[in-house]
Amino acid sequence: MSDLRFTIYDLRAVSQIARKSYIVNRKLLRSFQMVVLLASVLLQSISAYAQQRFPPPDFTDTNHQIPVTSTPAARAEWLQYLDVAVLAACLGVAVWFIYKNRSRRGLFWLSIFSLAYFGFWRKGCVCAIGAPQNIIFGLCNSGYAVPLTVIAFFALPLVVALFAGRAFCAGVCPHGALQDLVLIKPVKVPAWLEHALGVLPFIFLGFGLAFAATGTGFPICRYDAIVPIFRLNGPGLLIALAALTLVLGMFVGRPYCRFLCPYGALLKLTSLASKWRVRVTPDYCTQCQLCENSCPFGAMREPSPGTVEPKLLSPERRRLGWLLLLLPMLIAGGAWLGGKLSVPVSRLNPTVELAERHINQQKSPANYGVMTPEALSLQRAERDPEALLKSATDLRHRFWLACVAFGGWVGLVLGVKLVSLSLRTLRTDFEPDRGACFACARCFRSCPQELVRVGLMPASELPSPRSVPQPAGS
Amino acid sequence: MKNSDAKPTQADLECGGKRSATPLSTPAAPAPKTVSSLRSATAVQKSLPFATSLSQASLIAAVFCALVSAAMLYQHSVAAERDPWKSPQLLGLKEKLRAAPTDETIKTEIRRLDLEFRQRYVRRLSLDRTGGWLLVGGIAAMVLAAGLTAKLRAQSPIPQLKTDTAAQALHTRTQSRRAVAVVGLLAAAGLATLALTATSPLPASTAELEKLLGRAPGGEPVADTPSLAEFQANWPRFRGATGGGVAASTNGLSFALDEKSGAGVLWKALVPAPGVNSPVVWSNRVFVSGGDAKKREVFCFDAADGKLLWRRAVENVPGGPATQPQIGEPPGFAAPTMACDGRRAFVIFANGDLAAFTFDGSPAWSKNIGVPKNMYGHATSLAVWPGKLIVQLDQDEGAPGGSKLLAFDCGTGRLLWERSRAVYGSWATPIIIEAVGKTQIITLALPNVIGYSLADGNELWRAAVMEGEITPSPIFAGGFVVLASPSKGLIAIRPDGAGDVTKSHVAWTTEENVPDITSPVSNGEFVFTVTSSGLLTCFGAKDGEKIWEKDLAMEVQSSPGIAGDRLLVLSTKGNVVVAEAGREFKELGRAKLDDQFDASPAFANGRVFLRGATNLWCLGGKQ
Repeated sequence: MSDLRFTIYDLRAVSQIARKSYIVNRKLLRSFQMVVLLASVLLQSISAYAQQRFPPPDFTDTNHQIPVTSTPAARAEWLQYLDVAVLAACLGVAVWFIYKNRSRRGLFWLSIFSLAYFGFWRKGCVCAIGAPQNIIFGLCNSGYAVPLTVIAFFALPLVVALFAGRAFCAGVCPHGALQDLVLIKPVKVPAWLEHALGVLPFIFLGFGLAFAATGTGFPICRYDAIVPIFRLNGPGLLIALAALTLVLGMFVGRPYCRFLCPYGALLKLTSLASKWRVRVTPDYCTQCQLCENSCPFGAMREPSPGTVEPKLLSPERRRLGWLLLLLPMLIAGGAWLGGKLSVPVSRLNPTVELAERHINQQKSPANYGVMTPEALSLQRAERDPEALLKSATDLRHRFWLACVAFGGWVGLVLGVKLVSLSLRTLRTDFEPDRGACFACARCFRSCPQELVRVGLMPASELPSPRSVPQPAGS
Repeated sequence: MKNSDAKPTQADLECGGKRSATPLSTPAAPAPKTVSSLRSATAVQKSLPFATSLSQASLIAAVFCALVSAAMLYQHSVAAERDPWKSPQLLGLKEKLRAAPTDETIKTEIRRLDLEFRQRYVRRLSLDRTGGWLLVGGIAAMVLAAGLTAKLRAQSPIPQLKTDTAAQALHTRTQSRRAVAVVGLLAAAGLATLALTATSPLPASTAELEKLLGRAPGGEPVADTPSLAEFQANWPRFRGATGGGVAASTNGLSFALDEKSGAGVLWKALVPAPGVNSPVVWSNRVFVSGGDAKKREVFCFDAADGKLLWRRAVENVPGGPATQPQIGEPPGFAAPTMACDGRRAFVIFANGDLAAFTFDGSPAWSKNIGVPKNMYGHATSLAVWPGKLIVQLDQDEGAPGGSKLLAFDCGTGRLLWERSRAVYGSWATPIIIEAVGKTQIITLALPNVIGYSLADGNELWRAAVMEGEITPSPIFAGGFVVLASPSKGLIAIRPDGAGDVTKSHVAWTTEENVPDITSPVSNGEFVFTVTSSGLLTCFGAKDGEKIWEKDLAMEVQSSPGIAGDRLLVLSTKGNVVVAEAGREFKELGRAKLDDQFDASPAFANGRVFLRGATNLWCLGGKQ
């Protein structure tokens, strides 16, 4: 297993992605056809590893025959069209299962299909989770045109979320499907912990986008905790993280989706404005509380009065005011701290790392002894020292900008979260949280109204609304 | 609105039939007693034996997964020790090999271990794949069994009447705010520690970068590539910028040698390694290389006083041969003359190691271009032009096809172009000339002299005039490419042709006194040659007519040079003969240096630099 260090090859891989994608996209834009998937470009870039960059050693003594370098074929174009078509179809079917058919079983089998197709067969790439990085990389680098398929993978689930919430999470995302499968005995995560950990996906999203904007790499893909399972391979640390996620997922519903998934953060925001929303009951809520614990993901919200005792009103308003004042300070503080972070973070860029090693070597020429890949990297980089330093200085500036934006974003996320937790919400029925609900349909069958709808219970046995005590304060 | 899973199953009816839906339900609204998706305690009790079996199955699957994981983890834990790059055992052996480079036992052991580790690595990959699928199967079985167990043992929720919803919500919000604040503080503390403790040697701004690069902020940047004038004012390659052995300037040049008093010898400095390459000079730096099968080095001397400024070993070159080729002395490993572009010095050795160093001795880049298969060993010197480094790699005696001409980017060492040459091995150095509006590379080898375009390496013209062992290098004089074909004659060719110009562009040929090792030299009007037996001859540059000859009666291996109107000839035993470069032979001076000379003189900054077997010599008058 390779370690997590970035090497000079990473930069070459990224530049190859940019160059080849740009060329491909330019051609296809002319003919108004879709461009190749990022996956094929990645495959091409991986093939660059196999090229002989230097004359091979002399094997005269051993008569060793150097094998001919071969590169894997790019993914066929029609398969890329197929991927987008399958994604669109799956999203449509998921919406139908959630809103029309209200079928958990249907969503289950759909997620099994998605797991097999997008997960184990497509090896989790291209996926919507990593696509935002391509988008931001394309926006910040004029030499990189985002493949249209990647745009489709990025945009389709978000567009669907604008109308139907997180249908993508419900049965299309292979990451969610896998975690759903291993969920054995869900425990309820305390609400305060759920809220605290709920900011992590936004922070990870910010980091991923900031890092991708510098052109250094795609950390959301690189540190994906689920993809190594699909590929049955990966760096040791990620495999350990994948195992941990799976074990945790047996007792905590969808830990990756809830507390890490950056695309989930985007879907969460989009779903807040969705046209339709998932409802537990197909009819009216009797507030029987049977659905209260039906959601293993902590998305069920109970009725809330929306008003507060008069004596608490003033302190709450004061707190809200202070938090609103604190918000710009959090953003500014985060931006300042982010700027300082640019130094250590930029070292993850191979050019910066190489330049620092060059300067250190200039200051105190080191005798590397036996040449390691790290020691050879300076020579193999084939970079002129001055050009290297200039490039690294420019990159450091880019990192500074990206880290300032990232720090500000973290401050904004924390501030908005604190403000949102200081707002009262009026809720009359038991209903899933619009942003947090994965639309998995597990809660449907807990509702007597649903049982009546599907013919599992006679309507006459329904409790009448008036017979059910209302929660205090309502 | 019916759906696909709307049909009630027997299990649904059995499982849900005996439970109470909710304690909140009043007698007026009894809980559904016939169906429910939740299960009663009785149903749970009934399914306990099956659940127990499933639980045991899941336990077995878990143990299986744990065993597979443990086996895979063990494999990974020992992987580092067997990594060919990281194995302490292998690294130790490689360190030993550095101390004893010719120890075949260590080499054999390294090869054996390397092969063994690589085979183990491939086996481990195969085991990983198998283990991965076993884990997938085990986890699937475990999750299936455990999931069913949990389902069978699931108790129905008993909702409780909540009377303090508002207070609870308030409390939860307060707790959540604190938790978010704690997360924020922890993140800020961690990131601040990381941010504020990190230091970087990299300049924070362009101004600091300029300072680091040794320039005043806002100052004119030093171009990475020298101008042609700057290039031609120095002695950047074998026989000077043009490769013709003619000094660019005679300012201050003095040949006032006095054998007895030592006058005229400004300094001499010990060259610590053997080599027959000639000095290259740029400004106040003199570069030579030296070495043998054990170690190969570059030496940088101060042109003012001969002080050795730095020496760097060229070792661990990527792609370098595991064993050094067998090369006789001379020419040895360091026969090719270095090259220099004012920013970097370039060196090539007979084992194919090509390296560049900055003027302060830092390695810029290095690579191996393949071990030249050459009868006597590779001796062709490097050619350089602003921005491009040219390597003529002629080889495969008796088997044309392995020869090639390569152009590298001086700054990065990147290969710019490569052209295959259907010629035999040669030892002549290419020259780069500007003729008929093109910058051409002129190469000599059996059987062709070929002109290439410097820009893209495309062949411009060729003439099949070469015979014998091609050692003398060509010159460009009087509009002709003048070359010595040892078994044929001294030949002049017009470099303005295209394709095969053998019959159309040969201006003149003379078969008298053809040099076999040394290269000709010309002041534009006359061409001078000297054979290895010391026969100095003057030809007319326009027609090749022999004007005079003079037997100097000394063995000569180094090519003659011209500075102004002076012709300098150097014998292997250290006899320096200065003659007038004119229509008649006129000896102007003679001196003896205590060294053996096979290399050719370099003229720069009013001085003459000679590389002897032992010392580097600097001749000149007081300045």
